[in-house]
Amino acid sequence: MRPEFHLTLPAEDGTGAFPVLPGFVTDVRPGTAGPYERLARVGRAAELAGMGGVLAPFDPAGQDSLIVAGALLRDSRHIRVAAEFHAGIATPVYAAKLSASLQRFSGDRLDWRLAVDLDPRVARSQGDFLEGAERYSRAEEFLTVAKGVWHEEDYGFAGRFYEVLGGGLLFPLSGRPFPRVQLSGTSTEALALSARHADLHVFDLADNLDAVIGELRALAGQAGRDLEYGLRLPVLAREDDGEARRDALRSWTLRSGAPETFPEPDPRTRLWHGFGGPGLVGSYESVAAAIRGYLDRGVSAFFLEVEPHLEETYRLGEHLLPLLAKEIHNAG
Amino acid sequence: MPVDFYWRMAMEGDQPSLRRKGSASRGGFVPDTAGALAPGIRDGRPDGYSHIDYLGEVARATETSGFVGALLPSFPHTDDPWAAAAALARETGTYRFMIAFQPGFLHPVQAARMTASLQLATGGRTVYNIVSGGGGPQQLWWGDKVDHDDRYTRTSEFLDVLKGVWHADGSYDYKGRFYQVEGGGLPASLAGQPFPEIFFSGSSKAAIEAAGRHADYYLSWLEPLPALAAKFDQVREHSAGIGRTPKFAVRLDVLARETEEEAWEEIRRGWAQPGPAATPAFIGLGDSVGWRRGQDLAADGNGAGEDDAHRVPEVSPNVWGGFHVLRAGPVFGLVGDYRQVAARLDELIGLGVEAFVLGGVPHLEEAYRVGAHVLPLLRGGVVAQEPLR
Repeated sequence: MRPEFHLTLPAEDGTGAFPVLPGFVTDVRPGTAGPYERLARVGRAAELAGMGGVLAPFDPAGQDSLIVAGALLRDSRHIRVAAEFHAGIATPVYAAKLSASLQRFSGDRLDWRLAVDLDPRVARSQGDFLEGAERYSRAEEFLTVAKGVWHEEDYGFAGRFYEVLGGGLLFPLSGRPFPRVQLSGTSTEALALSARHADLHVFDLADNLDAVIGELRALAGQAGRDLEYGLRLPVLAREDDGEARRDALRSWTLRSGAPETFPEPDPRTRLWHGFGGPGLVGSYESVAAAIRGYLDRGVSAFFLEVEPHLEETYRLGEHLLPLLAKEIHNAG
Repeated sequence: MPVDFYWRMAMEGDQPSLRRKGSASRGGFVPDTAGALAPGIRDGRPDGYSHIDYLGEVARATETSGFVGALLPSFPHTDDPWAAAAALARETGTYRFMIAFQPGFLHPVQAARMTASLQLATGGRTVYNIVSGGGGPQQLWWGDKVDHDDRYTRTSEFLDVLKGVWHADGSYDYKGRFYQVEGGGLPASLAGQPFPEIFFSGSSKAAIEAAGRHADYYLSWLEPLPALAAKFDQVREHSAGIGRTPKFAVRLDVLARETEEEAWEEIRRGWAQPGPAATPAFIGLGDSVGWRRGQDLAADGNGAGEDDAHRVPEVSPNVWGGFHVLRAGPVFGLVGDYRQVAARLDELIGLGVEAFVLGGVPHLEEAYRVGAHVLPLLRGGVVAQEPLR
């Protein structure tokens, strides 16, 4: 299986893109495009460092992922760009049409990450009052209709949430590959939806990977489908294990102010539970070895979470990816 | 009184000229045509360019030719304006993106988020063209079953929510017929941007009523001047009733050349091409009042002879109602020499028009031409004294 590495773009963290200079220092920098300058530089880092793609998360506190995706696709040649959104933002027809243009503009490099489960309070602030299993019913219809107008002519649909008559994208918006669909979650509803609609299902390190991959593979098989499996992967890799531990400790101390509570990375699995969840900490070689382990378990896409984004992206591109060159280039 | 001149972005693909009736071979819309470009063919293979590369060239031409920006229209057969604006935001400097959209297709909270993001990406260069929809089969194609007059109610609600979320100081709540929000509002990273100017389109009574409440500009397709003046009066009258003073904008194509003969020769050659009209039939099938008005008004041509068939839709000097046949889009535009076209634009300014959306085919070269030869002749509403023809 050919591994893919995707960079998760920074969510809004309240820090500006540019340092604030003292008033007497002549400052000719444009003041307006701040967040985009930062996102554009991180996107270019992923492109130049040889990543397979980036993920623009749905971030209620930050920039809109579709606008970000449009900008980053324009600014790159190779990376895939996944825009994460929820089904309440637009009709599936409009989402499909906007995406068809992004496919045309980018040589088919757009992915959809559909966020189904949202904190109900966040959802209501976005004007979306649907809760629980209903959200999966709507997501199912949303993907069905979006794919319907994408692939079919004179498409009709009448469901609980959507209705279309005489639909179907017109040439030349028609005929491109549908955005690769990424989904996540481990609930019964989440796995059932993925079995029918996902091209790539993204798990967490905290999940019981072998069990959920097995379950989803079986469900997808019943639906006559095959999909790929991904993993959200916070990572901190350095020249050697000692240096990695030192920087993990520094980051822990910065955030918690309590170095004495530092959780030690597991020397065998390289798992470290200090990212706010589990992730990998270690030398480039040991992190690469851990990634090979996940490859063996059927995971092929890794959504890297790193900080600071630009510097760590170049670092991983220069030091970690070359160790996995054999897997990247030789996979069937 | 300053007048804003917008150009147009051909989201439907561009033709090499009006002579190539309906053949939008720039931007991948007619891929097998010889000379098609963006994408084009190099060494027997696609050259890797796409419509957005051409749109970027048109945007830069627009920017340097004296236009403040352009309208990015949205129809079933076009590329999407939000996608294009996001892509081109960072490679333009002053260009304002007038994004056409129908309120039903995006949730107003999402529209607020996308707009605020785009405002940040462009430094506040987003403008809205809000369209409530042509109706009929086209509306169901979009998956929208709300009927004509209700669509304007929804548009009003949509704009209430969009503005509510945009300006919310703290937590915004709304409960209407179409939308509901609880604890909404833009996050700090998106808040505080200027709210886009609104160009409102629609010719029906329901549209004019909705425009009265929300529009900065009432945008109409060009019609014969008396009809247009009457329409403006109707909008003025209605707006006065609710204590608002509307501004007017007109969208029209221009075909301007060094000489009048040269201009009409372009039209004649396009008109002589066989084949169906360039405007997709279903654009006219809906319940759009503006479209029906245009078709009806163009039927009152000047009764020219057989050789001059292409002059039949010339309803008054230089006002020609056949553009929809030669390229996808509305009916009326101006045809003439540079001086005549400038004088007609001055007449429109005299009617109270404060913003124009001009277009011309091909949009790249014609942006340069109109910027170089027509805009400099404008006098700001003072109509020329000498006879024009």
